[in-house]
Formats: sequence, structure tokens, C-alpha cells
Amino acid sequence: MSVQDHRYHRPAPGVDLQGRLSPFWRGLSELVWRLEHGFERARADARPEEDTRVRIFLILIVFSCVFAGLALGASYKALFGAAGGRWAGGNPNALVRGDLTDRNGELLAINIVHYGLYLDPAEVWNRDLAYRQLRRALPRIPATRLRKVLDGERRLIVLNGLTPQEKAAVHDLALGGVTFEPEDRRAYPLGTSAVHLIGDADTGGQGISGAELAFDSEIRAAGQRGEAFPLSIDLRVQGVLENELAAAAIQHQAKGAVGIVTDVQTGEVLGMASWPNFTQADRGAAPDGATLNRAVSGHYEMGSVFKTFTVAAGLDTGRADMSTLFDASEAFQIGDRKIKDFHAQNRVMTLEEVYLHSSNIGTSQLAVQMGPDTMRDYFRRLGLLDAAGIELKESARPVLPRRWDNSTLASLSFGYGIMITPAQMVQAMGALTNGGRMMPLSLRRGGARGAQPQQIVTEETSRAVLELMRANVVRGSGGFADAPGLRVGGKTGSANKLVNGRYDPSHALGSFAAVFPVDGPLTAKRYAIFVLMDEPGTYPKTGAYVAAPAVRNIADRIAGFLGVERRADRWRTATGEKVAEYQDVQGDGL
Amino acid sequence: MTAAPFFTYSRTALQRLFDWKVRGVRWIEIIGVALVAVMIVSVYAAKAAAARESSRIAQLEQDIRENGQRVRLLRAEVARLEQPARLENLSRQIGMGPVEIHRQAEEAQLPELKPVPASSTPVSAQPAPVETAPEDAAVAPETAQ
Repeated sequence: MSVQDHRYHRPAPGVDLQGRLSPFWRGLSELVWRLEHGFERARADARPEEDTRVRIFLILIVFSCVFAGLALGASYKALFGAAGGRWAGGNPNALVRGDLTDRNGELLAINIVHYGLYLDPAEVWNRDLAYRQLRRALPRIPATRLRKVLDGERRLIVLNGLTPQEKAAVHDLALGGVTFEPEDRRAYPLGTSAVHLIGDADTGGQGISGAELAFDSEIRAAGQRGEAFPLSIDLRVQGVLENELAAAAIQHQAKGAVGIVTDVQTGEVLGMASWPNFTQADRGAAPDGATLNRAVSGHYEMGSVFKTFTVAAGLDTGRADMSTLFDASEAFQIGDRKIKDFHAQNRVMTLEEVYLHSSNIGTSQLAVQMGPDTMRDYFRRLGLLDAAGIELKESARPVLPRRWDNSTLASLSFGYGIMITPAQMVQAMGALTNGGRMMPLSLRRGGARGAQPQQIVTEETSRAVLELMRANVVRGSGGFADAPGLRVGGKTGSANKLVNGRYDPSHALGSFAAVFPVDGPLTAKRYAIFVLMDEPGTYPKTGAYVAAPAVRNIADRIAGFLGVERRADRWRTATGEKVAEYQDVQGDGL
Repeated sequence: MTAAPFFTYSRTALQRLFDWKVRGVRWIEIIGVALVAVMIVSVYAAKAAAARESSRIAQLEQDIRENGQRVRLLRAEVARLEQPARLENLSRQIGMGPVEIHRQAEEAQLPELKPVPASSTPVSAQPAPVETAPEDAAVAPETAQ
């Protein structure tokens, strides 16, 4: 024991060693030194018991503080911590992809847990028996794969995507070594219905076609929230459209067919069908060309339906009105090309008659008068020079003419020389019949998000087009499309297809673009129906015979779903009879 | 100096508490040990109950998940069975079809399709007395007979 006199200051040991360090270190070491020797100092001051108690008291305070802190923290966690934090691993209903539904919540696509079948051969008692039993319970199991796994050493997967029923069947065999692992799979319960439109998602949950691809990120986001993603289509309309289209296509022995129903005011697609169709489950076995969504990817020279666009452009520019005369008494000569009429009238006709008799001569004259700049401008406004504004990634760009000379203008005026998709056609018809606003087509319920509709023609033009289309159904070529009481207006389209460099009448295309009801204010509820028959095998192959009847059936049956009432107009009663009192005395169609 | 007596008293009270003993063991320690024992038992009981509850919750969540899967499966099945195109094909197989236009009517058209027979409604034929005294009008024919 060293004896030191503590009553006067002595420098702490080590200070010399750390002399070069900062004053902080010096202060700290002095403090430690003082604390260490405090007891001795206190005893030397004859107050030993007091000093010990101070130390105990200090330690007590420190420990109390620590424990109080711990207790408070624990209480806080227990009382106010995230409720059920242990179980709330995100949304319990979360899915990789949300369900796809139609506008009324009917299912189109759904994620269902499927199972992977795993087999551990080491735990199989009798391999031959297991092989036979598995093959019987699950006939689609590949024999070679099963044999390979059974004869192997390790636990391996035998088959993917077992449905719950198949899983139950295998499970009931009570075999050793059989295990299942859940996997989330996309299922399409509708089979062939709306198959092109819905598209497909791969096993990794990525959309690869159709709406699944177009809205991929939004469907995934909806899945994370445990919600469904609604499309604009109405499954009832879709069902009618598909069945009527298929019936017409089979009746007319068509190679392919397209049907689209849209709301012209919002641009929403209510139904979109492409025939022939297939099922996602056996996509590989689909017939040639069936997987193509002809409604947005098929290119067609549409024929006379384009006359609506030419006439609308003529009216909108003010170059023509309903009574402007066109000389269709003889063929229209452009260079060495002669343009003739299919149903030749051989007389001078008003613009309205040109439209009703579908005169190539009349529209060609009008197009040539307007010139390439005006025609190109109106075609651009109508969206005919660019892919349809629908969200589907399959939406194809049109095939445009290289030159815009007079001969091309004449062809364009009656729908030759430009190949567009049916979706573009419907989009343009919608814009002409909703007061002149170009609404991009959309598969989103409520229409395209943030769409800024552009006024492409005047309201007067739009009204005139509606009148013309109705007149064409009542008195022109579209008579077969007149669904009783629904005030259908429309235009037929018939075209021959280019085969080996020449237009071949045996490879034809018939279409019908309709709008109903045509009456009421321009902003009233109005729907467009477009039906196209590709290469019908029966005669006559014109749109009036192959497509218009299908349009009538479709309109007739979907009117109830869409809330369109049957009413009389000045030509027809609500049940479709001719209005007897009406006589066109002046012959002006009014 | 005024504060000193208080400290002295409190100090002596504390002193007495610590000096309060039975068989050489401080009461304060016995009480403390007893409290700790009670706390241990109650915490144990609470934790055991919580564990039971949480396993029950986990079980219920599992059930909900499984039922959810079954519901989804059944919904898919319903969607397959109820798809309009399929129903139409089935209806056509048994000879049904869309209703012909002339056989369709709305509620408002009913009187015009089948006029209300005049004989069976004497009330409407003589509206005036009915409005004034419907009770009498109903009773009168019976009394007359």
C-alpha cells in the first residue's frame, strides 16, 4: 500500500505520457483518477461512509434509468405497436395480378393457385405401382418424365400447373414421396370468349398479349391492392357479338371476320371479336391465323365505307352540300384509268344520291376537286394515317399510299389504296357521329385516361353524316341492317382483294359500319357497330349481304343491354314497319 | 434549519421501514419477493394466453386464405358456366331464340295491347259516386239483392 498525501494537488500518472494529446484526454484521465481515488480521499477527510453511499446511490440511479427506459419501451411496444404486426404481412388478398373483369364486374381472367407435383423416389415404396397409379389418376402426366424422376435419386418436379381437382386426385392416392408446391397461375375461365382482347400472361405473371400486356403494370398494382381491374367491355355485348359474328362467318363461309361495338361518345370498346378464335389453354393447337386479333392487327382495303369519310370531308370543307351535283352519267377518266360504278345509275346525281347509290364516280370527282392536301388533312384528322388510339400493343399502323396523285385520291375516296385496321375504322366512324370529337378507342372503363378530344369536323357535318347513314339504311344499300325501332344508320363496304397484283372478285371483303340510334342530340347515347367479313365464300359477297344482317342481329340483341329504347322515326315504326304516311314528294329525302 | 426536521423525520421513517423485520428478514424484502412472484406468474399467464390466441388467429387466417382460394376457384367456375356465349349456345340447342319484335312489349303498352274490359269494372264506369262514398257504393248492390 502506497502512502500518498492527497491533500494537495498532484498531477495524475499518465498525464506525462499523454501530454501531447488533447486537453480532453487530460481532463478525462484526471476525472478517472479522481474517481478511483475518491474513496481514499474521503477516508482521509474522515467521511468514509458518506462517500460509499454516494457511489451506491449513483449506480442505483443509472440502473433505475436503464430499467425504466426498458420498461417504458416494452410497454409502448405492447400497447401502441403496430396492431397485429406479426400477421400483417401486407394485404392478405394481394395477388401477383389482379383479376380482369368486364365493366359490370364479370370475370375475364383470374389468378388461381395451381400446384407443382414433386416426387422423391427415395420415399416411394413401390415404383411400378406408383407409376401406374399416377398415370391413371393424371393421364396428362408425361410418361418419360415420370419414369425418369421415379428412377432418379433426388426429389424433382414431375408436372407443373395441376388444378386443385387434379391435386386432389393425386393426393387421394396416398403415395409416399409425393409433395405439392403451390404456384400462382393465370386462368381464363371464358375459353374462346374475348380471347384476343384479354390476351395472355406468362407463368411469371408478366402480360404478354392483349389487355394483359396493355395494362400490365396497372393489373399488377391492382393485384397488390387485392382489387380487380375492370375493362370497358360488356360481356353480354361481347357474347352476342361473338355468336352473331361466328354464325354469319360460318353462313357465308368467310375466311375471317371482325366485329367491334363501341360507345361513340366515350370511345369505350364494349365488344371486340375476331373470328376464328381459339382458347388460351391450347394456343398451340389453334388453327392458322386464329391467334391474330384481326380487329386491331388485320389490314384491309375497306372499300365503300370510306365514302363516308370523303363525303364528310366534302361537307366539312364546304366544297359540297347535300344537293351538289356530280355527273355520273359516264365513267370518270383519270389519265388512262376509267372509274366506273358498281351499281351504275348513268345520270347526274346529288351528293346524297352519290352516297346512297355508293357511286365511285361521284366520290372520285369530289376527292379530286378537294385535292391531295385537303384529303390528307382529313384522313389525318380521322386517324386513318396512324395506328388506332386503343391501348392494345397489337394495334397496327395502316398501310398508306406512297403518292397522293389524282388516281390515288380517286381510289382513296372509295376505300382502295389504303389498308387500315377495323379499329381505325370504328374510331373514325365514332368521331363523325358524336358531334365531330375524335375520341381514341379505349379498353379502359370510362374511356381513355386524360384524352383531349379534338374537334375534327363541325357539328353540322356530324349531323349530316348521321342523316346520310340513316337514309342509306332506309333507302340505300344498307336495308338489311335496319333493326326494328333502333334507328340504325350505316354504310356498306365491299372491296375486292389484291391477289397477285390484280383485284380479284373471288377474293372479296364485305363490311358494314353502323351507328345507332342516329336521332336525338349529337351528345346522346350512341353506339357504333362494325362487322367485316374477310373473303366470304358465298355470293353475293357485298357488305349489304354478308355483314349488314349480322349488324341488324347484333343491334337488335344488344339494344336492351345498352338501354336503347325502340322508337319510331319518320321512316319506320317502332316495330320496323314502313311509315305509310311518309311520301318523299320533293324527292329530297326530308 | 427549517428543512432539517423534515429530513430527519422522513429519514427516521425510512429507517424504521427497513428495520421492520421478522426472524431477521426485512419485511420490505419479503413483500418485494412476493410482488415479483405475483408478477412472474401473471406475465406467464398472459404470455401463454397470447400464444394460444395468436395460434388461433393464425389458424383462422389460414382458413380464410383457403376459403378465399376456394371462392376464387368457384368464381372462375361460375364465370365459365355463366358466360353469355355459352348460355346462348345452350339455349339454341333446346330451341330457344331471341324474342321476335312483335312479341315484345313494355309495361306502358299493356292497356293498349289488351284493353281493360268495361263490364268487370263498374267502379271506373261510375267514378262520381265512388269518389264521394266508396263504402256505400260497395255495399249498395248487396242490400238491393
